[in-house]
Amino acid sequence: MIYLYDGTKEGFLCAFLTAFSDPQAQIASDGFQLPLGAKAVNIATDPEKAEKAKKRLLSFDRRSMHDLSRILRSGDGDKDETAFRYFRFLAEQKRPVSGMLSEEAVRRADECIRRVGVETHRTKGFLRFFETESGALYAAFSPDNDIADLLVPHFRARLPFYPFVIHDVKRKKAAVWDTEHSFLAPLDRAEVLISADEYAWQDLWRQYYESVNIPSRERLKQMRGYLPVRYMKFMPEFSKRKK
Amino acid sequence: MFDKHLFVCYNAFMISEEKLKILTESAKYDVSCSSSGSSRKNAGGMGNGFAAGCCHSFTPDGRCVSLLKILMSNDCIFCCKYCVNRAGEDVPRATATPDEICELVIDFYKRNYIEGLFLSSAVFRTPDHTMEQLLLTVKKLRTEYGFYGYIHLKGIPYADGALAREAAKYVDRMSYNIELPSERSLRLLAPQKSKESVLVPMKKLTYEKRVFTEEKRKGHFLPAGQTTQMIVGASREPDGQILKLSQSLYRVTGLKRVYYSSYVPVVHDALLPETAAGSLREHRLYQADWLMRFYGFTADEIAGDDENLPVEYDPKCAWALRHPEIFPVEVNRAPLEMILRVPGIGARSAYKITTARRYASLSFDDLRKMRVVLKRARHFITCKGKFYGEQNEERVKLLLAGTEARENAEQLSLFSSNETALSALTGEL
Repeated sequence: MIYLYDGTKEGFLCAFLTAFSDPQAQIASDGFQLPLGAKAVNIATDPEKAEKAKKRLLSFDRRSMHDLSRILRSGDGDKDETAFRYFRFLAEQKRPVSGMLSEEAVRRADECIRRVGVETHRTKGFLRFFETESGALYAAFSPDNDIADLLVPHFRARLPFYPFVIHDVKRKKAAVWDTEHSFLAPLDRAEVLISADEYAWQDLWRQYYESVNIPSRERLKQMRGYLPVRYMKFMPEFSKRKK
Repeated sequence: MFDKHLFVCYNAFMISEEKLKILTESAKYDVSCSSSGSSRKNAGGMGNGFAAGCCHSFTPDGRCVSLLKILMSNDCIFCCKYCVNRAGEDVPRATATPDEICELVIDFYKRNYIEGLFLSSAVFRTPDHTMEQLLLTVKKLRTEYGFYGYIHLKGIPYADGALAREAAKYVDRMSYNIELPSERSLRLLAPQKSKESVLVPMKKLTYEKRVFTEEKRKGHFLPAGQTTQMIVGASREPDGQILKLSQSLYRVTGLKRVYYSSYVPVVHDALLPETAAGSLREHRLYQADWLMRFYGFTADEIAGDDENLPVEYDPKCAWALRHPEIFPVEVNRAPLEMILRVPGIGARSAYKITTARRYASLSFDDLRKMRVVLKRARHFITCKGKFYGEQNEERVKLLLAGTEARENAEQLSLFSSNETALSALTGEL
């Protein structure tokens, strides 16, 4: 049986509770391509039920909700399966299992959580803001995992007086900080009016990037290992000069 | 108090591209680029410290761009033989104003290009004047521009100690470059510098910092400590001697990092070698440095005083091969300190192993699935008493040399290494 939920954390917890006792269970979120002849059931999200499951899992491992939130952000196609197996194992063991790396389910969850964490950390460095006419900052990016809102506390702490928008163009949503509140909003396409000096600063940055390189020591493979090509699209130092 | 209107960008002091080019091109040979170690809070302005450090870009030479590395001026009165900006050399000269630098930092930081500033300078006019200008800049950046991001300031040798002490209150990290690993080389290649001109201010700052923490004074005093840098391959010191020096800098002087920069011939002089030192030597030194800082090795264990580090193996491998009596170790029982000494197993893998074995004893296959790299490690460990490596010692040496040297194949000449010898044996050549 395949248990379908709405993609939210609460939805997952409800599906988990229902699927737990079914040994052949599979959990998937909406939009999942069902295999031919598969039996599926939609699980409605019930906040009370979710709360119950949450309390129980937290009693086994204090970090379990943190882990769940990370796994569900993953861009992997089988993230629901990863989460289901991991939490089923946790519920069977009734104690923290995150260190039991010789278990397949734990290892998969661990890797999934790490990948989300690594991308979040990387993006804190690779995100590039454009200054708009009003002085607000705008950054577009296209991450593998759904991490836009995880970045907000980091940038809010360092740029508290600047409103900013972090736009995930792949998932068509944006994390926004308006100098008082932060929130997530759907955003398909953004019309951004660039400030008068923006391109001049970008040119200075390109100049800087060019001059710190030591050409006699080229190591492109190493560079791409640290900075995968897919991130370069949104970084001014890898695009041509405008004007 | 912080003035919000300041942040409306007037760009009154936007630096010219030409000037930026001159001042950053000569700053790039300073290898330090870490922005870690400080968790300075934002107290009503822009920026904060990010204790883990953050890389914002990577250049084609594989190095990270974390800080805006810039010289205040490249108009030097010193004449160090290895330096592009030495006095009397015909190169374009420029000097930036404190405001130009501050604005550049603010605008780069705002766009998330950089994590902070690395400010250095040639000695212009006098050492005291230079240090005053640097101090003025960082003070301005902190107080007028309300910047709380990372600042690394280079100390100027022979400048008044009071200036350095004052600067330490505003910046996160300071560094005095040793440049050459012995007094003799320093006399030869940088005649105006002496060992004391670098070591004395370093020690003074370490002492001041200790007093500052003991008395629990308010504010900051170099939260990310001090670092230094040495050029490797411009003079004749062997690696063993360099590592000894680093060890004492870590233990006695209390530095956070020592950087090694393999010599690149940018200027020609009869006293300097014509060839670059090669990045492999630099790489080996960093590996050894890591062993001293994170793996519990001492300099003596890694290399003798007049020895160089081996080219074919990394220093940990070389140590393990010299101590066959210790290996193989059992992964399920050996203490963490011992697992850290197994070639090919890093700190993360060692930690993974010690955590996972608490629940179940680990097999070779488990290790592989946990993504512990076993290419080198398998010759030095047993899993549940079983050995999976190569028995023959000579064969182990060949295999170990093969894995490492392949990446650096261009560094070695034909038939000079075990790797080529191995490929000749197997007929790959």
